[in-house]
Amino acid sequence: MIEFSNVSKKYKNGTEALKNISMKIDKGEFVFIVGSSGAGKSTLIKTLLREEAPTSGTVFVNGFNLNRMKRRHIPKFRRSLGVVFQDFRLIPNMTVYDNVAFALRVTNVVSKEIRMRVPYTLKLLGLSDKAKSMPHQISGGEQQRVALARALVNNPSIIIADEPTGNIDPELSFEIIDLLSAINEQAGTTIVMVTHEHELVNYFSKRVITIEDGMLISDSMGGSKTELFTGHELMEDYSRNLSSKQKAIDFSDTTASGLMQEYDEDFPSGYDFIDQQEMAFGRKL
Amino acid sequence: MKLHNFTYLLKEGGRNIFSNKLMSFACIGVLVACFLLIGSAVLLSLTVNNVVRYVENQNEVVAFLEDDVTEDDISVISLALKNIDNIGQVTFESKEEAAESHKATMGDRAYELEGLDINIAYPNSFIIQVRELSQLAETVSEIKEIDGIEKVNSQDEVAAILSGLKTAVNYAGTGIVLILVAVSVVIITNTIKMTVFSRRKEINIMKYVGATDGFIRMPFLVEGMLIGLIAATLAFLVLGFSYTYILQWAGLNYGQYIGVVLNSAVNFRDVGPYIFVDFAAIGMFIGVVGSGIFVRRYLKV
Repeated sequence: MIEFSNVSKKYKNGTEALKNISMKIDKGEFVFIVGSSGAGKSTLIKTLLREEAPTSGTVFVNGFNLNRMKRRHIPKFRRSLGVVFQDFRLIPNMTVYDNVAFALRVTNVVSKEIRMRVPYTLKLLGLSDKAKSMPHQISGGEQQRVALARALVNNPSIIIADEPTGNIDPELSFEIIDLLSAINEQAGTTIVMVTHEHELVNYFSKRVITIEDGMLISDSMGGSKTELFTGHELMEDYSRNLSSKQKAIDFSDTTASGLMQEYDEDFPSGYDFIDQQEMAFGRKL
Repeated sequence: MKLHNFTYLLKEGGRNIFSNKLMSFACIGVLVACFLLIGSAVLLSLTVNNVVRYVENQNEVVAFLEDDVTEDDISVISLALKNIDNIGQVTFESKEEAAESHKATMGDRAYELEGLDINIAYPNSFIIQVRELSQLAETVSEIKEIDGIEKVNSQDEVAAILSGLKTAVNYAGTGIVLILVAVSVVIITNTIKMTVFSRRKEINIMKYVGATDGFIRMPFLVEGMLIGLIAATLAFLVLGFSYTYILQWAGLNYGQYIGVVLNSAVNFRDVGPYIFVDFAAIGMFIGVVGSGIFVRRYLKV
């Protein structure tokens, strides 16, 4: 759950990036945040990630009060989030597998755990056969899927996607949003996606929060799938491919219980997997 | 910290060094050179100090007493001498002893001294060893002030030269060591700065997935420490072998001229361990401080 109450952010150089923003995003929602560049989207994301603290107002994310959060508590908070960026931010000299495992390795997850979760997440995102590839050997869309896998691998309750489609081909943009959508619907993960591409927002009918000049100017359900959509042919192409692709991916089981089913036979009876998981992630799953 | 984390951090630190082979190599090379110069400066000034101390021990001040002093006066003078700070050992030489030792130095021609009246020809004297040559002049004038002392003989010029040399070597040595330590600091921190810069994206991602600052900093810390330690070890070995070799060579070829210096030269076995510990401490300290400073810049996410 995300709650902003009267949040304002003024940078030291005098720029007022956010002006009195209040909004509430419930668990399991899928929300687009739109606005032209310079509207304050980036600052909103930075506030959400506690990269910046608000000048006034309160921000609650996943039960953490971000205003009062001490610097040393930030890592723990961030482990409850998954983040996807426009520029993927994959580490170029690591394989796809290592890029995803990296998120777990640097957060004290035991290697046994890593060996289970990473292949599973890669499989969910249809990347199993790319596990040994380097980022430069795969397409932009695939790179963004890897980034998504990295965001998903520690089983976050919120995924924050900052312009995730900005650097990839339009037809692949749909695929990324579909993946996010599937994660949202099947695993109940809250998704906050920032974008400036109105076509995408209009195609998927989701909640849309519009920010302009640092202020929240509208909060409504997005348009229908046909409205204002310019890439008509593209859409048809995409729709044709969609059914076959989506069947291959099932996100209903990104939770620990799903993992348990998947790997149940690998463990001796009596092995308390959920407890292990909860210990590894440091919170109730 | 859990074991698997510890091994991860060591591995990462090692990986940093390997992934920047050339830079690490250059850094270690320059550091070894710095450490060698530092070590040479230290060994040289220790040796000069030893030589000066040796000569100081040889340097005697002789205080001749007036002819009419009594036994009691002599013990009063002896006490007064021992009360002067800069005076070490004080030995009394009576007229008879002076005559004996003079005879001994004459050897075959000792017969020439026969017939001399000991009481007139030789004075009673104190042979005095001075602790600090640099304060010789003050000490001599203090001795002169004691009642019953007629004359003081000392080698002021030798003392002045030696103590000047000692001071110069010590100052120069300290200066060189300080400059080179500063250079070493710059070199290690610069290498770490490079690796931090080349891995700033990784650091950024680590921050976003929730790695702690300490965890992110650790591999760089390990890298700095490893570089410092490797350079210290190499410098220690090179310094030890070359120093011992040079001493042996000089002993064989010039032993008769510079025997005093060679005898006073410090034994590497004695000082080597200290030098190594200092090198390692400097290297590791710089590694820790340098990585601390430069990683911090990229941790503000």
